[in-house]
Amino acid sequence: MKIKPLLLIIFISITFTIKAQKSEYATLLISDSLKENANAIVRLSQIDITISSQRSMTIGKKRVITILNEKGLSAIDAVENYNKKTSVKNIEALVFDSFGNEIKKIKRKDFKDQSAVDGSTLFSDSRYVYLDYTPIQYPFTVVYESEIETSNTALIPQWLPLNNYFVGIEKSILNVNYPDNLGFKKKEFNFSGFNIQKTIDTSTKLSYTATNIVSQKLENYSPISIVFPKVMMGLEHFNLEGEDGSVKNWKEYGNWFFEKILLGTTELGEETKAKIKTLVGKETDPISKAKIVYKYMQEKTRYVSVQVGIGGFKPMLAMDVDRLGYGDCKALSNYTRALLSVVDVPSYYTELYGSNDKMDIQSDFFSIQGNHVILCIPNKENYIWLECTSQDDPFGYQGTFTDDRNVLVIKPEGGEIVRTKLYEDSGNTQISSGTYSLSKEGDFSGKITIVSEGSQYNQKAVLENLPPTEREAHYKKYWANISNLKINNIAFSNDKENVRLTEKTEINAVNYGNISGDKMMFALNAYNQYTENVKRIRNRKNPFEIQRGFSDTDEITIVLPQEFTIEFLPSNFDLKSKFGDYKTEFIKKDNGTIIYKRNLFIKKGFYSKTDYDEYRLFIEQVSKNDNAKTILTKKL
Amino acid sequence: MKTTTLLSTFFLMVFVLTTNAQEFKLGKVSMAELKEKVHPKDSTATAAVLYEKGKTFFEYKQDYGFQLCTEVEVRIKMYKKEGFEYGNKMISYYTGSSYNESVRFANAVTYNLVNGNIEETKLKSEGEFVEKVNENWERKKITMPNLKEGSVIEYKYVIKSPYVSTFPEWNFQATIPINYTEYTTNIPEYYNYKVYKKGYLIPKEVKKQLYQSIVLNTKIAGAMVGQRQPMFSAETIKYTDNQVVYSLENVPAIKLEAYVNSLNNYTTSLQHELSSKKMPNSLPEFFSESWEDVVKVIYESDNFGTELKKESFFEGDIDKLLVGIPTKEERIIAIFDYVKNNIKWDGSEGIYCAKGVKKAYQERVGNVAEINLILTAMLRHAGYDANPVLVSTRSNGIALFPSRAAFNYIIAAVVFENDLMLLDATEKYSMPNVLPFRDLNWLGRLIRKDGTSVAVDLTPKAVSKENTNMNLVLSSDGVVEGKIRRQLDNHEALYFRQKNLLTNKDSYLESLENENNNIEINDYVRDFELNLSKPIMETYSFKSSKAVEIINGKIYISPMLFLATKENPFKQEVREYPIDFGYPTESTYSINLEIPDGYAVESLPKTMNIATGENVGAFKYNIINQGNRIRVSITGSINEVVVPSDFYQSLKDFFQQMIDKENEKIVLVKV
Repeated sequence: MKIKPLLLIIFISITFTIKAQKSEYATLLISDSLKENANAIVRLSQIDITISSQRSMTIGKKRVITILNEKGLSAIDAVENYNKKTSVKNIEALVFDSFGNEIKKIKRKDFKDQSAVDGSTLFSDSRYVYLDYTPIQYPFTVVYESEIETSNTALIPQWLPLNNYFVGIEKSILNVNYPDNLGFKKKEFNFSGFNIQKTIDTSTKLSYTATNIVSQKLENYSPISIVFPKVMMGLEHFNLEGEDGSVKNWKEYGNWFFEKILLGTTELGEETKAKIKTLVGKETDPISKAKIVYKYMQEKTRYVSVQVGIGGFKPMLAMDVDRLGYGDCKALSNYTRALLSVVDVPSYYTELYGSNDKMDIQSDFFSIQGNHVILCIPNKENYIWLECTSQDDPFGYQGTFTDDRNVLVIKPEGGEIVRTKLYEDSGNTQISSGTYSLSKEGDFSGKITIVSEGSQYNQKAVLENLPPTEREAHYKKYWANISNLKINNIAFSNDKENVRLTEKTEINAVNYGNISGDKMMFALNAYNQYTENVKRIRNRKNPFEIQRGFSDTDEITIVLPQEFTIEFLPSNFDLKSKFGDYKTEFIKKDNGTIIYKRNLFIKKGFYSKTDYDEYRLFIEQVSKNDNAKTILTKKL
Repeated sequence: MKTTTLLSTFFLMVFVLTTNAQEFKLGKVSMAELKEKVHPKDSTATAAVLYEKGKTFFEYKQDYGFQLCTEVEVRIKMYKKEGFEYGNKMISYYTGSSYNESVRFANAVTYNLVNGNIEETKLKSEGEFVEKVNENWERKKITMPNLKEGSVIEYKYVIKSPYVSTFPEWNFQATIPINYTEYTTNIPEYYNYKVYKKGYLIPKEVKKQLYQSIVLNTKIAGAMVGQRQPMFSAETIKYTDNQVVYSLENVPAIKLEAYVNSLNNYTTSLQHELSSKKMPNSLPEFFSESWEDVVKVIYESDNFGTELKKESFFEGDIDKLLVGIPTKEERIIAIFDYVKNNIKWDGSEGIYCAKGVKKAYQERVGNVAEINLILTAMLRHAGYDANPVLVSTRSNGIALFPSRAAFNYIIAAVVFENDLMLLDATEKYSMPNVLPFRDLNWLGRLIRKDGTSVAVDLTPKAVSKENTNMNLVLSSDGVVEGKIRRQLDNHEALYFRQKNLLTNKDSYLESLENENNNIEINDYVRDFELNLSKPIMETYSFKSSKAVEIINGKIYISPMLFLATKENPFKQEVREYPIDFGYPTESTYSINLEIPDGYAVESLPKTMNIATGENVGAFKYNIINQGNRIRVSITGSINEVVVPSDFYQSLKDFFQQMIDKENEKIVLVKV
């Protein structure tokens, strides 16, 4: 008879679920302040991470999301990735109408299962399951629950209570349980200004609760990594794709990674070794040797991403890359390392977070943080960085994907955090020099040479290899201020030694000069109008950042039609601000010739939100003066 | 007569010579091919197909009869790194039933020239991948090893498919040049296919008959017990294979161009549609041949015609809905809105119901077939002459010839005032005869109750209008303050609603300010957001300090301010494909400008009235000055929806004249 009470309890709970009217999910209960500017509301997001041992972690999720309109659908975020080391134990969802009545139940078999191969990956054995639900009304509420299990305890997900724009958050909870002997640690970021409480922090438990975070709007120039709250977590004793590791800091991680993952991956056949030695010949300078090897690698290989099993972390063997001629960033960097070691040039495998927004590896906090690999070559006190996935980049050039950030250099004696190359504002130059002439009908005919260096090289170097139609489209956009543009000739010279790209272009256009009556009006600055849009933002909330500065210099000779004289020339303009300097000069050389000089210098920097309007007005002055018109009158 | 014979020999000889110049056989890569640095006819080509030879034939399998077998061999030259993407190949195949398709790659080799010698690198299993995309599809991929600029690669693949009605499509054209392409079809006499050619190039054809035989083994029933081997009777069946060899030489790369409906419509390719099948000792089966036949097959399908006849599940709801609604138009709209509001589109296309209309109605979610068949059935239930219309959406390409695969979408049509009213309930902001853009693709096919059908023009006839009124006050310091009222109807309204109704108002205004030369907007009001029968209307006031130029004491102002078109949408020098505007449009502007005290008009832009030939586009610009006021009225219209490419230059010039005029300036001087 002891069984009965238990049965009763089960029975009661079943009837309760069947009834499923959850008045707490009613959308009426959402406060107006959270709904403002929101497309969805996170009523509750609870993440329960349980680390039961060095080789086992489960992550449970419960998300209750009210979707107010179609644009909020992505906030449901009901998707789980899995692979050989990670399995989805449970995944289900319930849908409620705006009164809290259950309208649909979605079981695991109704979720879609898809391979995780995207455009840039050729093959991957990772897959994902996701919810594919067509809403029948708005607002509605989804209660999503999932549990995944993995042996990859090195990969504790970051907690990002706020990871979507236009979403208001009622409550977001993180609970982490862990044995006290695995060396659990955490690092908090950007909590200030948000209502986040640390509710438990003991040797085996950590909990946070974030409440009432109002919807955030995307504001341009926002440094996201500095604005939104985040918690990073890690273990000293972890497992990564089947390998146990015991690591306290980056130095020890580097050591472990070198011994467990990299060791034995750089062997090469005798034939290749001999070939490399022949190529390098009598060269003794390590950097000169590295240049020869880098060029060889660029010509021999191409980027193909294949992610199988530990492929996510372990590079393909150098011998295989040598044979196949392709690999991903890990494989190609490590292959280059192998080639360099043949000619006794030391180099180090380097992990980092690659993106155009600069992101650092946290120097005081060890956890897996990278998404990309490059190669590092010591050069006296400095380092040279090699992007091995590119077949075009000049030796040691970093562009905007890996520049100026903290990265992890893996040396045999241990890991080391190093900052990559900063491209100085004044070195990111674009120097334009050229001429144009106008006919009496206002038709334009000109020649220009544009030389780009530093991070500006990065944007221009790709032009050389674009198909002609796309290349033409680039110039028609770059010179959108010249209507009826015709490009007659384009020539490039790419000086990789000095990282300098020269474009020589000949163009013409009918009706550039706007004729009304006996006057002709046109903007003298035809070749380089600053078009960056800095829009007015109502109630800006976030600080803003100019991540890379630059300097543009123009000197253009303008030959006027003989039939006209100058009636009006804009005055010289000089503007200095904390964001940079702008200067234009109009010099009347003789009656038929004007020389136009322009310099725009923008500084990199981090500014408060109140500075934004000032910056906007600065740029407005620039674009207004870039567009300053001159007037010619027909000679009598 | 002599000349003809002579000519044909000459042609024949030339043909023989060219084909012999290169060997179109795997493994026979020549030194010349490896040494070639640029494509002789297209120096911009990053890679080129040196040859591609495909063959589709029928293979007899004792267990399940004939299956389609397609063998293709390709040789590709890599000129530049940018062409290395052609060193990867991916083929998708269906695995969603017990009769699966299969794909096999073979003979994949990369050839390089190393110190004057040809080096071969074979593709091994490490470079071949099978990806299970989802429960119905798999993909096989290869990535060629050891690619360098100058490499030549070769591979072969074999696709086997039991689905004889899904004959592979052969493309004679690609995004890189093709030096030689050949496709052979061997079709047994039992099958009849209609062959359709698409595109601007005409392949050469050589026909031949081949004699084949198959051996049928039949197990003899009632074989004796205890017999070791089962008894078979072997029967040899002879049949004719009809062979056609299609070929083309020197096929240029397809160029991507803007404002093209779908590039797929212009690619030279070959398609086969199964029209009938007659196996020995059985009656012939007829499939689609004419549009009438195609429609009949679709209509008689359980997932179409039968579903369309189901009514009982909604009768009560519709009867209740229509109580007290007097006019026919209002009743049609009521049903249309009812379907839009109550059944949501799950985003999937297709001409057949998936879960059925009843279930879709109950679950309030359905595919396009379910939604618009329910709509049709409801209109019929209400007593109207309503029918489904089969459509091929823009992304599906134009249905050039009768084929069931030609259609991927259904809308509804109802007779109203002796005309057809077209309805698509998948899009909540659509209106009668204002269909979502995806539907606007040439002709649809209306199916009547008796299974007969007729073509329906999907091109919108109603002009979509944009109407702007602007009152401007200019002050002597160059600041313009103004009020704008802007109205959009039909497709312009549909597009506006789709794009903006859910956008946060602040964000909308920020981008509106930004797009309009950083004006400052205040008092923004939007009317008739959800009242679809009315044009959408926005009114706001604004201030602009950048619209005007003051030079030497004179004020230069273009009366359209920031509303003037800035760029000509037609930038290319030449155009190969027709220009597709989607629907006819008309934009009108009525501007009233008050000039500052103490200023007078020095010059005004001249009035203008231009039109392209055949009335494709027209533009009128009128301007008058009365005292301190300047009134401007401007009308621009596009009256033809699809314009052939030979009209491109005049259309481009027309746009340029219009844009120049819109940007022309009024000059004011101090008095």
